[in-house]
Amino acid sequence: MTGNNNSIIKKMEQIINSDIDLNTRKDDIKELFKEFKKANKKLNKILTIGDKIQRKDYDGLKIKLNEIRELNDEVERTQKEVLSTIGTIAEFRSNETGLHVQRVSWYAKILGKNYGLNEREVDLLFHAAPMHDIGKIAIPDAILNKPSKLSFEEFEIMKTHAKLGYEMINDSDRPLLVAASIIAHEHHENWDGSGYPRGLSGDNIHIYGRIIALVDVFDALGSDRCYKKAWDNDSIFNYIKKESGKHFEPKLVDIFFSNLDEIINVKNKLENRIK
Amino acid sequence: MQRLIVEKTKSSPAIDFNPDTNILKVAGESYPENCTRFYLPIFEWIVEYLKGASDVEIILIFDLVYFNSSSSKVLLDIFDLLEEQESYKIIVNWIHDIEDGAMQEYGEEFKEDIKYIEFNIIAK
Repeated sequence: MTGNNNSIIKKMEQIINSDIDLNTRKDDIKELFKEFKKANKKLNKILTIGDKIQRKDYDGLKIKLNEIRELNDEVERTQKEVLSTIGTIAEFRSNETGLHVQRVSWYAKILGKNYGLNEREVDLLFHAAPMHDIGKIAIPDAILNKPSKLSFEEFEIMKTHAKLGYEMINDSDRPLLVAASIIAHEHHENWDGSGYPRGLSGDNIHIYGRIIALVDVFDALGSDRCYKKAWDNDSIFNYIKKESGKHFEPKLVDIFFSNLDEIINVKNKLENRIK
Repeated sequence: MQRLIVEKTKSSPAIDFNPDTNILKVAGESYPENCTRFYLPIFEWIVEYLKGASDVEIILIFDLVYFNSSSSKVLLDIFDLLEEQESYKIIVNWIHDIEDGAMQEYGEEFKEDIKYIEFNIIAK
């Protein structure tokens, strides 16, 4: 193809390296200079067009990348909102207001962060927490909303909500749903192994399960339920201290009390407005 | 002179140079891994074709949706070659999508240096 800089360079070298007096080759040099100018002009043109192409490509990529980011955010926000809504639906069946699941999420976030979970884990915990009682949608109303103490058989049925909740969502491999399935499954396990459904103990209970176990009890004791009135804070704190090492992981109990102000702050902000 | 047909690939355009109709068409995307290797036989075909054709109207159609810098050099080489021809009526039709203002702009860049051949920028 024409206008090749290499061919110009080659011709120049031939002239320079020859023994002939350059004055006698003025015409050749002039011709070469003309060629060089043409090639240079072409090169500049290529650069101009190349720059324009590059700018268009880069601008286009940036726009696409932003679109993908926005779409991704939208997908994540939708997932989180759907989980929160489903969790609230489960709460409504127990004549709760939906604020319980919100409070549990916020308490869990405080404990998770101070336990040393990374930002992503805390985020998953926060957004999956509302699903902890999702299994309750499969528990009959007569048991779920019974105003008196459950019989042994009724309590056995009630206990199945943990496994049922897990089974409802454990097919997914989406991180948020995996976290939700763990929480649904393990939030009634006790640190000493006396919980259900599997009687797991200590570190065998996922940290999400251990955290939700504590904050769920804390919130439930402080709320009116169909079968009991709300406890006062001191009684709740005494209970939590008493259950450290039994129902709850001692380290989490310590973290709970170290961050009590923040926890009470959440409680006051998200107090039940509808009883 | 044999008609030159090259199927398009992911990174190279379709070539259809027909010596019977004197319509030479390049269409698609042009960012081949080795631009010189891809375009050299095409360039050589044009050189040969121009030797054989005489007193005819030749239409070159460039209907590209994307090309890289190396391809722009080849295009400039082709336009230079066409500019040197004196005995033909040569028309270049630079086709661009009506929405693709950039491709129109590239056509205008090329047209800027064209003196002797007809260079049309056509929106489709």
